[in-house]
Amino acid sequence: MSTQSKNDEQERLKLLQGTLDLLILRTLILGSQHGQGIAHAIQQTSDEELLVEHGALYPALQRLEERGWISAKWGVSTNNRKARFYSLTSAGRKQLAAETTKWNRFAAAIGRILESEGS
Amino acid sequence: MFEKIFRRKRNSADFAAEIQAHIQLEEDRLREQGLSAEEAHNRAYRTFGNVTHVQERFYESHRWIWFDHLWQDFRFAARMLHKSPGFTAVAVLTLALGIGASTVGFSIFYNLMFNAFAAKDASRLVVPTMHDADAGSTGALGLSLEDFEEIRKQNNVFEHVVGYVTWGGLVLANQGPHMYQFFVSRVTSDAFDFYGVPALLGRSIEPADGNPKAPGVFVISYDTWKSDFDGDPKILGENFVVDGEPRTLVGVMPPRFHAFGPNEQIWVPLDLSQAAPNGPDGHFPVFLLARLKRGVSLQSASANLNVIEHRLALVRPKDFPKHFRAGVETAEDVLIGWQAPGASFHSDLKHLLYDLLAAVMMLLLIACSNVANLLLARASTREKELAVRSALGASRRRIIRQLLVESSILAIAACFVGCALAWCGLKLIVAFLPHVFAGLGSLGAAIGPEAFLGLGLNVPVLLFALGITLLTVLICGLAPAVHVVRADLQPQLTGASKSGGAAHGKLRSALVISEVTLSIVLLVGAGLLMRTLFLLTHVDLGFNPKNVMMVIFLPPPGHAQVSPAQKFASPQGLAILRGIADHMRALPGVTDVSIQDTIPGYGPDRGPQVTIPGGTHTVEVGLLGCDENFLDTLQMQLLQGHWLSSEEVQQAAHDIVLNQKLARDLFGSKSPLGQQVQVKSFQPPIGAAQDTNFQVVGVVADIRNSSPQKPPTPLIFLPYTVGDGRFFLLKTAMNPLSLVRSVRDAVWSVDRDEVIGYSSPLEEFLQKFTYATPEFGLTLSGPLAAIALLLVIAGIFSVMAYNVALRTHEIGIRMALGAQEDNILRMILLRGLRLVAVGVILGVAASLMLTRFITSQIWGISATDPVTFVGVAILMIIVALTACYIPARRATRVDPMVALRHE
Repeated sequence: MSTQSKNDEQERLKLLQGTLDLLILRTLILGSQHGQGIAHAIQQTSDEELLVEHGALYPALQRLEERGWISAKWGVSTNNRKARFYSLTSAGRKQLAAETTKWNRFAAAIGRILESEGS
Repeated sequence: MFEKIFRRKRNSADFAAEIQAHIQLEEDRLREQGLSAEEAHNRAYRTFGNVTHVQERFYESHRWIWFDHLWQDFRFAARMLHKSPGFTAVAVLTLALGIGASTVGFSIFYNLMFNAFAAKDASRLVVPTMHDADAGSTGALGLSLEDFEEIRKQNNVFEHVVGYVTWGGLVLANQGPHMYQFFVSRVTSDAFDFYGVPALLGRSIEPADGNPKAPGVFVISYDTWKSDFDGDPKILGENFVVDGEPRTLVGVMPPRFHAFGPNEQIWVPLDLSQAAPNGPDGHFPVFLLARLKRGVSLQSASANLNVIEHRLALVRPKDFPKHFRAGVETAEDVLIGWQAPGASFHSDLKHLLYDLLAAVMMLLLIACSNVANLLLARASTREKELAVRSALGASRRRIIRQLLVESSILAIAACFVGCALAWCGLKLIVAFLPHVFAGLGSLGAAIGPEAFLGLGLNVPVLLFALGITLLTVLICGLAPAVHVVRADLQPQLTGASKSGGAAHGKLRSALVISEVTLSIVLLVGAGLLMRTLFLLTHVDLGFNPKNVMMVIFLPPPGHAQVSPAQKFASPQGLAILRGIADHMRALPGVTDVSIQDTIPGYGPDRGPQVTIPGGTHTVEVGLLGCDENFLDTLQMQLLQGHWLSSEEVQQAAHDIVLNQKLARDLFGSKSPLGQQVQVKSFQPPIGAAQDTNFQVVGVVADIRNSSPQKPPTPLIFLPYTVGDGRFFLLKTAMNPLSLVRSVRDAVWSVDRDEVIGYSSPLEEFLQKFTYATPEFGLTLSGPLAAIALLLVIAGIFSVMAYNVALRTHEIGIRMALGAQEDNILRMILLRGLRLVAVGVILGVAASLMLTRFITSQIWGISATDPVTFVGVAILMIIVALTACYIPARRATRVDPMVALRHE
């Protein structure tokens, strides 16, 4: 099991610079969530393709909070543990919309280039 | 905004709690999946990554963190510098010397160039000048009173014009029985208001004093107040008779006030309503000083003045040269550019000051390249350290900042030391220069040695020097970061590259070469001045000027009915001269008194033609009237026959003594004793010559009579009772300066009507007119050159020491393979010598091109004097070899085993 998961981790995609913020915002649109929850949500929704180093999540959360795109307060998790819950602010929603459009255009552009090279 | 900066949104504990909560949740999840408690714990931590790192990043996200880092960097840098005290000391001292010396140099330059005048709005002060196209000369414009008035009325470029008359120079003044004499300047009554400097005591001359019915007043200079009145404030309000007119002393001017003439000691109002006093050709010239209207350029002022002058020339053509161009020059240009009268090379201070500026710039460059060198050497040794730090996770930004902090500490320390050095340097200059400066002829008088008393650290100048050095330090301090920034860490870490300095190597060699080049230029300049001064002060004058005082009567024109020459040729005049000489001889401290006719060293070198009776060969000679004591007073050397005896002088015998040059010219190898010499067109002071034949009684060795810089010319010594003679030379047992007052009193006790032009030590005169310029130049350039040499030693030493350190490994191999100490030593020395040789060649070439800028200051040698050039080159090579030797010696002491392991 452990060796299996290690191999898995090596095969997983490292996150591109700057995409973590987008993923966090996208995850939070489903409702407020704590850090560990966000990490797993990203991993699961991407069919375990993306590797999120949990530690890297927190500076990102901190940054987003400072920019006013997410807000945070301490709460209690489903299994009764104390945890800090993050939720999207209205500014965050706008940012998400903008970033999503940008990302789609970017991905499409990269895709076209790679396809033309392939043919 | 403030809230954003100061509000700490979350504390670290809260953040740590969140991370703990995260790991707890992860552990919970893993245990649900069936992992053991221990495994779940480990796995949760592993997935999270580096907890400390995350916490650090949180900590660093706070805004005041840079301050925290700065403090860390500062402490680290201080530790690093403390660890290499040698480097730190040399770097700080080098920078400090550069900053200090250039600040002193710039301060002097600034003070003399831009701050020479105490006048209000000095930058707009101009002196009207006239260029005489036929004579090819330019001088201050001297006008008649009428023309002066016309200029005042007609011009539309000057805010104000004032005039002054200095012609006539000395006047006698007395207060009851006390006699004085002063250089006087007569100024228009608005001149002092115009100049804008208030009196130190009492008042200056005011416009109301120009009223013909106003009571007579005068003001005196600070120096005169100190020397003639012992600085007694009670002298104010006293009544004097100045040049025959009753006047009240109403004010004492402040120390730096030197306006309206070159030597002025007192100023009196010029009475414009009076008929112009008589000068040699009808009028005293009125000199002008004007202040430009705001926004008026020199060109338009010159044009306007030129038009007016030409209009006036139509009315009074005889007052003007045939072809001329009038214009204006800034007062600074005129006064600083003034040439000392009587000096055979001009003391053009302005050139000297620009030379000084150039020298200072060179020194600053040397200091900068030296520090660059030191820092680059250090950089090479530190690249590895930085590579390690970078590999351990230090960001580039952090490393660069760290280096900047280190450099800044050096620069700031150097700044403090540099300021201290500059301050000391200025104190020294203030103590030394006035003595030198007082000798700069009219210029010294125009600005006055007191200019240096106000010499202070010039803040803009200091900032400039600081700025340049700081820039050097910062740029060079970053050198070690270059590789780190290129992320080129591998070779550094593996030790594959021992020559992180190889790239710097060339740069550093170039720096050493340029340092040597620049300092050669400085040394050659200083060397030429030093040789000049040495040659000048060691000219064999043929007489001994030490403790000789000259007393020269210089009555203003029109002072008496008869000319001074006529007066003293009469029996009464001769009695007066003898009476004065007797009184002088009776003064304590006076050992010899001679009545004669010249300033020894400066004349006479022109005169009548002489020949042997019946001969055709004629020679132009100078005639020097003197008495029987002349030979001993000046300690001249008698070669043949005897000196004029007291009887010969009393009886006005036609007996003469020749100088050696004339004896050879007239008589060749024959003895001239007892021979006759005919002085053609001999003109005694009174009457016509009865007899133009003279008998030679002696021959003396040549004395310099055509200025100390020129070879002696033919000279005849004859009794003053036959020729002229109304000056005195006094040989004294002590410094003649202390006798000035009693000598004057001795003169006035015999003749109350005598105006004493000079009563000063002969040495002072020589200093003033002959030695002053090179002395001034040397005083400034000598220390600069010395400091440059010091910096070059440090520079070469650091480069060589570093090269040796780099090659320790190689040297070890060589020695293991059997190389001898001598071989190693020679190898290292040759390498150093190669750099120096290139620098010396370049420096000599540069000097050959540059020394022509100081030819005017050089005498007795050419500007490409081989002795100086070779001497400087040899000095540089010796110094460089010494600087190479110590590191080279160290290299030979290397234990091969240690060297081989040395990386």
